[in-house]
Amino acid sequence: MDDLEKAILIIFDETGAIDDELKKQAKIYCNEIKEKPSICRLCIEKLCFSNLVQVQFWCLQTLHEVIRTRYLTMTPDERHMIRGSVFSIVCLQDKNLLRVLEGPAFIKNKLAQVLITLIYFDYPLIWSSVFVDFFPHLSKGNMVIDMFCRVLNALDDELISLDYPRTPEELTVACRVKDAMRQQCVSQIVRAWYDIVSMYRSSDQELCASVLDSMRRYISWIDIGLIVNDAFIPLLFDLILEGALSDQLRGAAVRCLLAVVSKRMEPQSKLSLLQSLQISRVFRLVTEDADAELVSDIAALLTGYAVEALDCFRRTSSEDAKGMSMGLLNEVLPSVFYVMKNFEVDATFNIVQFLSGYVATLKSFSLLGEKQLLHLGQILEVILVLIRYDPAYRTNLDVMDKIGKEEEDRMVEFRKDLFVLLRAVGRVAPDVTQLFIRNSLASAVSSSSDSNVEEVEGALSLLYALGESATEEAIRTGSGLLSELILTLLSTKFPCHSNRLVALVYLETVTRYVKFIQDNTQYIPMVLAAFLDERGIHHSNINVSRRASYLFMRVVKLLKVKLVPFIETILQSLQDTVAHFTIMNYTSEELSGSDDGSHIFEAIGLLIGTEDVPPEKQSDYLSSLLSPLCQQVETLLINAKSWTYEENNAKIGVIQQIIMAINSLSKGFSERLVTASRPAIGLMFKQTLDVLLQVLVIFPKVEPLRNKVTSFIHRMVDTLGASVFPYLPKALNQLLEEIEPKQMAGLLLLLNQLICKFSTSVCNILEEIFPAVADRIFSVIPRDGLPSGPDAVTEEIRELQELQRILYTFLHVITTHDLSPVFLSPKCKAYLDPVMQLLLYSSCNHKDILVRKACVQIFIRLIKDWCAQPYEEKVPGFRSFVIEAFATNCCLYSVLDRSFEFHDANTFVLFGEIVLAQKVMYDKFGDDFLVHFVSKGFSAAHCPPDMAEQYCQKLQGGDFKALKSFYQSLVENLRLQQNGSLVFR
Amino acid sequence: MALPQQQIVDYPSFKLVIVGDGGTGKTTFVKRHLTGEFEKKYEPTIGVEVHPLDFNTNCGRIRFYCWDTAGQEKFGGLRDGYYIHGQCAIIMFDVTARLTYKNVPTWHRDLCRVCENIPIVLCGNKVDVKNRQVKAKQVTFHRKKNLQYYEISAKSNYNFEKPFLYLAKKLAGDPSLHFVEMPALAPPDVVIDLATQQLNEQELVMAAAQPLPDDDDDTFE
Repeated sequence: MDDLEKAILIIFDETGAIDDELKKQAKIYCNEIKEKPSICRLCIEKLCFSNLVQVQFWCLQTLHEVIRTRYLTMTPDERHMIRGSVFSIVCLQDKNLLRVLEGPAFIKNKLAQVLITLIYFDYPLIWSSVFVDFFPHLSKGNMVIDMFCRVLNALDDELISLDYPRTPEELTVACRVKDAMRQQCVSQIVRAWYDIVSMYRSSDQELCASVLDSMRRYISWIDIGLIVNDAFIPLLFDLILEGALSDQLRGAAVRCLLAVVSKRMEPQSKLSLLQSLQISRVFRLVTEDADAELVSDIAALLTGYAVEALDCFRRTSSEDAKGMSMGLLNEVLPSVFYVMKNFEVDATFNIVQFLSGYVATLKSFSLLGEKQLLHLGQILEVILVLIRYDPAYRTNLDVMDKIGKEEEDRMVEFRKDLFVLLRAVGRVAPDVTQLFIRNSLASAVSSSSDSNVEEVEGALSLLYALGESATEEAIRTGSGLLSELILTLLSTKFPCHSNRLVALVYLETVTRYVKFIQDNTQYIPMVLAAFLDERGIHHSNINVSRRASYLFMRVVKLLKVKLVPFIETILQSLQDTVAHFTIMNYTSEELSGSDDGSHIFEAIGLLIGTEDVPPEKQSDYLSSLLSPLCQQVETLLINAKSWTYEENNAKIGVIQQIIMAINSLSKGFSERLVTASRPAIGLMFKQTLDVLLQVLVIFPKVEPLRNKVTSFIHRMVDTLGASVFPYLPKALNQLLEEIEPKQMAGLLLLLNQLICKFSTSVCNILEEIFPAVADRIFSVIPRDGLPSGPDAVTEEIRELQELQRILYTFLHVITTHDLSPVFLSPKCKAYLDPVMQLLLYSSCNHKDILVRKACVQIFIRLIKDWCAQPYEEKVPGFRSFVIEAFATNCCLYSVLDRSFEFHDANTFVLFGEIVLAQKVMYDKFGDDFLVHFVSKGFSAAHCPPDMAEQYCQKLQGGDFKALKSFYQSLVENLRLQQNGSLVFR
Repeated sequence: MALPQQQIVDYPSFKLVIVGDGGTGKTTFVKRHLTGEFEKKYEPTIGVEVHPLDFNTNCGRIRFYCWDTAGQEKFGGLRDGYYIHGQCAIIMFDVTARLTYKNVPTWHRDLCRVCENIPIVLCGNKVDVKNRQVKAKQVTFHRKKNLQYYEISAKSNYNFEKPFLYLAKKLAGDPSLHFVEMPALAPPDVVIDLATQQLNEQELVMAAAQPLPDDDDDTFE
């Protein structure tokens, strides 16, 4: 072993046994050798004579790298030497070179890659004979043939295939290579493929499969006549149909045939091709007890065939050709359906896509024929078969263990496309579809078989999925068979209702069709029963009952007024659930989902919150719910000091629950009712707010509680309107207490809500709180923005970006709601400068164009607010800041930058704002602005005087659009002049 | 050639190669198993780092030697040289960066050049981030090449073990294989019935030696 070999072994060693220093030395040593002029010769030698695969691999890798980067700088002699040596290894021209081709596959593949790099540079101009020279060597047997396949595969992978991103240069080379090959040697290559397969089909099937697999890659761009002829097609079918051959070889032949079928052609020639194949020959392969892998390939072939036939139908206008296409489809479809119903195949996705295309085509038929209706029925059957759960998972799915959850997730994903297909069929043939669902439901209910649960679930899921496309009108009136289906749904007792999935899909389906009840109120008791008894909220499975709460809330939202007569009944049957809700111990994880069960309170709130409920009743209902909850919180807070750590967590969970419940309950009460028509109700909520704010006092640092209380304040702002004001100072101060900078985002959202809702009325409150807010934010957000670029996408920065985004909104709403005086108030003044600096920087540099727009808008507004009178200095320094910094940096330099893309719609809107800013500055500052902008800004950008002159005219004129388009042309002109040489930032 | 191993273990182990563009979260993903912590900072990997990750299955413990390779070309080191003798692989992209998905075919090709017919999982990472650039529907590459695809989020642990489970099943040739406990953050020293375990291991190794189903059928060009 020489030094190089030793060094290579060391750099490949990742066992941790090699000392770092040694490894470093080895790396340096290897890299130095790479720089030697003789490196290619050295690599070739080592490749041929070393026994170590690492060394061989390193040599090939280095050779590849050197050729790629330095080939064109080498002498013709050296290039000649490299070509000759590589080719002689590939073709086994010298028996001494046997070692490489006897080596592992990755060495041979790497060798093929090197050869392709040579072809990239030299074929066909310098090395025209590379393919032709190959043929005589193929007779040396399977080793060279195998290498031949690898070279062709590598040619496809490295250069030709469109599956990989390619540079324009690579695409040009690929075209050059393909053209030359087509002219020179493709027919010989095809001939070679044919000869090899014919010769080796019984002796070396694996080799034949490799040949066919590499041939398949070429079919799309070579003359199809070379394959579609009396020799090759019979050979392919021979291989496919001969049972004695390996599935691998048969599969390879099938895939070649698929490539033939999928070749891009004119519809007329495609039709003759499809017809000539007599595809029905392969049908028997899927009806026998076939191997699953082969069936998968055949399924893909049949689908490909059907796709092409359908495509011909669509593209051709001749009636004859259309008829022929349909004929071919009718021939192949039954086998496709059969495969779908009886095998699990990889092509399922493609088949479903095809079927969707087929159904879409049928849409254009004015009248469906018998065959087509039959096919649609078959498609529905396929769907029902495919969406059915395997009974083996029944328990897993019911208890929702890990396996069950995974299976459910998988199925939900899998069903998506199938349901799209179902709805498409439903639109083309509504009667067929509804009838099919009715029958499936009936047979599922009556079926006594073991798979009854899955059948019911499947049939109900169909009905549910169909509902998504049904129009509101159709559901309301129960058109077609829908009314019958809905009544069946409501009146049938499904024997397997205790099953989680059945119960869930049942409730979902009832909810989806509940609009029907609006005009058919006689069925309300049936609907209520479904939700209130053990099928719904009282289901033994908590997941079902929680979901039922949510769905019930939606039903209540829809039927609201019609349910008023039933309030007593409903409340009575929910009593236990309501009481239960706040005593359960939840972990915070369970609380995070949307199906947390608090929806039952929302439902109740919606029910009792309408004006149709008499005032006294309403007060009674509400206080009977609120009082115990508030009392519970008060008691918990009083005792909080004495809790142990574990107790603490549990109690915090309970408090969270209660806040959520109250929050949900309040959603049913409108601002008008609470503040104007029934203030007694408002008072109850105010008292509640008092109690809940106390939570922040006792637990200032518990983030989940802080979030819950914050969202309750959000609600109360909405519900109580201006009467919430007295509570705000306390609430906001409490929230600010011990707040982490990152939690500021939540507080800003609340402030934004207040500002948007109350505008200037919150001026005082804002003035009070602004310093504290600004202080905390500027402690975490750098004034010159956050780093950007791919390296900066870390989690920490993401969080800060989020906060920053909300900060811009905050500043934006302040200015747009006439609150800019806040910035100037004595308490806040200190923050004016950092705020301005941040806004200036962001208006020029922020990578989010929408943020830049917001910043420019803020400036426009501030200029209007603070510089209303000409020559009045309301804010000392602001005027010169705007003229000297904002105007030149944002309005000129930032747009001169080439990254400012006029074609982008958002950027264009931003540009509009920037031009508007100039207009406003001119209005307010007159020549002070104009002179500075033109003399400093334009002249630094080498603006020709006549253009500057024109600019002044446009700015002084009244036509904003003209100004905008002139300024754009000015900017584009300046960019051209600078040719990117002037960098302002 | 012996598999590179940091320490010899007496249960089945496999070389797993992780590839994908720089910044897609390969290192974070692997380290999640080791420390259970989410790595917030980005330090590009240089060359390769090998991490042994153990999983407990119903057939006994297995180990993946995860070769966490550099995604950035400039830090590439031996690049495809690291793939040699890889027995399974994960190709990672970042659903918030379109280019990283565009480069997946190239990673796949480079991988398959060195490791023919190994089971491969495609992972779309960072699915927890709000503004995705690559939607689940747009991910189609795995269908072309018969790979398994998982959406993962190293940050939230979402689907963390899925890729490993899939690969373990494929390598053992046993679709019913499952993990008996969530991957331990620091592998606990569980005492396993030695006799049964050895039997299991034999089965596993034998199963692993079976040829794998052809994974590179490309029927949809």
